[in-house]
Amino acid sequence: MNDLRRLRDRCAIVGIGLSRFGKVPGTSAMGFCLEAARAAIEDCGIARDTIDGVLVLMPAQMGEQHGWASRVAAYLGIVPSFCATVDMGGATPIGMLQMAVLAVESGTCQAVLCAFGTQTNPQGVIPQLFGSPWAIPYGDIGAITFTAHQARRQMHEHGVTSLDYGHIAVQWRQHAMANPQAQMRKPMTIADHQASRFVAEPLRLFDCCLVTDGGGAFIVTSAERARDLRQRPALVSGLGQVHSAELIRPWDDGRGGGREAGEQAFRMAGCTPADIDVIQIYDAFTPRVVHDLVRYGFADWEEVGRLAASGQLTVGGRLPCNTAGGLLSEGHLSGMNHVAEAVRQIRGTSTTQVPDVALSMCTGFGGAPHEAPPTVAYTAAILRAP
Amino acid sequence: MFTIDKPLPAVTEDGAPYWEATRRHQLCVQRCERCGHLRFPPAVLCPKCLATEHRWVALSGRGRIFSFIVVHRPQHPAFFADAPYNVAIVELDEGPRLHANVVGCANADLRIGLPVEVVFEKIDDEITLPKFRPCAA
Repeated sequence: MNDLRRLRDRCAIVGIGLSRFGKVPGTSAMGFCLEAARAAIEDCGIARDTIDGVLVLMPAQMGEQHGWASRVAAYLGIVPSFCATVDMGGATPIGMLQMAVLAVESGTCQAVLCAFGTQTNPQGVIPQLFGSPWAIPYGDIGAITFTAHQARRQMHEHGVTSLDYGHIAVQWRQHAMANPQAQMRKPMTIADHQASRFVAEPLRLFDCCLVTDGGGAFIVTSAERARDLRQRPALVSGLGQVHSAELIRPWDDGRGGGREAGEQAFRMAGCTPADIDVIQIYDAFTPRVVHDLVRYGFADWEEVGRLAASGQLTVGGRLPCNTAGGLLSEGHLSGMNHVAEAVRQIRGTSTTQVPDVALSMCTGFGGAPHEAPPTVAYTAAILRAP
Repeated sequence: MFTIDKPLPAVTEDGAPYWEATRRHQLCVQRCERCGHLRFPPAVLCPKCLATEHRWVALSGRGRIFSFIVVHRPQHPAFFADAPYNVAIVELDEGPRLHANVVGCANADLRIGLPVEVVFEKIDDEITLPKFRPCAA
């Protein structure tokens, strides 16, 4: 396993920004990217000339557009010495955070802007069919079917139920109802969840994340430089990532499933799962929450299904999760909103604030589980209050 | 009437022997000549030992359902008329897992561990899709 301990608390997320998000037709992916980037710059008050690194998450629906990150930099009037478009799907925000920390710590950059924007109905882009040529002909298309298989295995191997998933969705919705920015703020009951239609059985509509137009951004610089900026810095204490080729269950030799990403992050931060005060889990679908809670060591299979129903995943419980509503109810900004919320928990500005947060964690999940061979990318970050 | 064709696999050099075999009603995968690993999907090298030498070998076509889903809201319009339809991940007796529909079985009767055997459905002159149906254990 790698050893990132020398990077512990050396850098900080100093600025966060989200664009308008939800159903926002007409605004381009680039437009959202720039809107969020500007918000992040204004949030921390950093001089634009200090930003010499730009990393941008590759939007899923953009067609063939080379130099995406360079173009984001150009529109912002930034001339970076380090600039890349990053393709790890929902694992990208934390992947970019890790790249940013490496860039700052190596002296490559003074400050790195990480950004993302997406328009789900882009003009002038031919929608692409996602998926493996070995699965698409059977109608197994996209991330939903992959996760439905994963849910089937969770149910079969570990007795997780649709009700367990439902209680996660309901808890997240309660968090979203407190968040004025959230896309879905209508109350949801467990009966609503159980009555929602199947999308890909065993997954129901309310097991699935939202479709969101919008963008997010954050800025990373050294802990030293962070002291001169406007906001309370969120020190980057732990980072981990792992990419594996797995078809529904982790590799037979015990690797995979994201465990290594957690182990790397906990080792770097010098803490254990029990030390984490709040977490934003990459919840593109409810079974992802179950998966990460187990694979990162927060719960075992016997208890994980009952945690949401017994109030353990909110303030006052064992591990408050997805306190802004998550991808399920706040909006699907590919996890950029999770990084923002993890930072807010450090600042004390969440709409579902956990008291006295010292360690705020965030996970990412992406890659290309629906391609051939199916690959997944797991990322994990632990932020520390200064 | 206006119809949308279902997407078919693009036949590449790596995968062409797979589709040649399905036309003969055989389910074949690559076996590494160096380490014996059976690999699917097809690739130019072995993910276990990186050897390129390989042989296409016919499998029994028998296996068990590892996972199954029932798609109610297809992500492609060509499948709308089929919904709700199943997609299984079949674990073949020899090890590889592949996606396929299970035919000859009500969706409600699908279960993990159900023994299945391959059947072949001709789509056009190039593509014959392997699918599976329940069989005796």
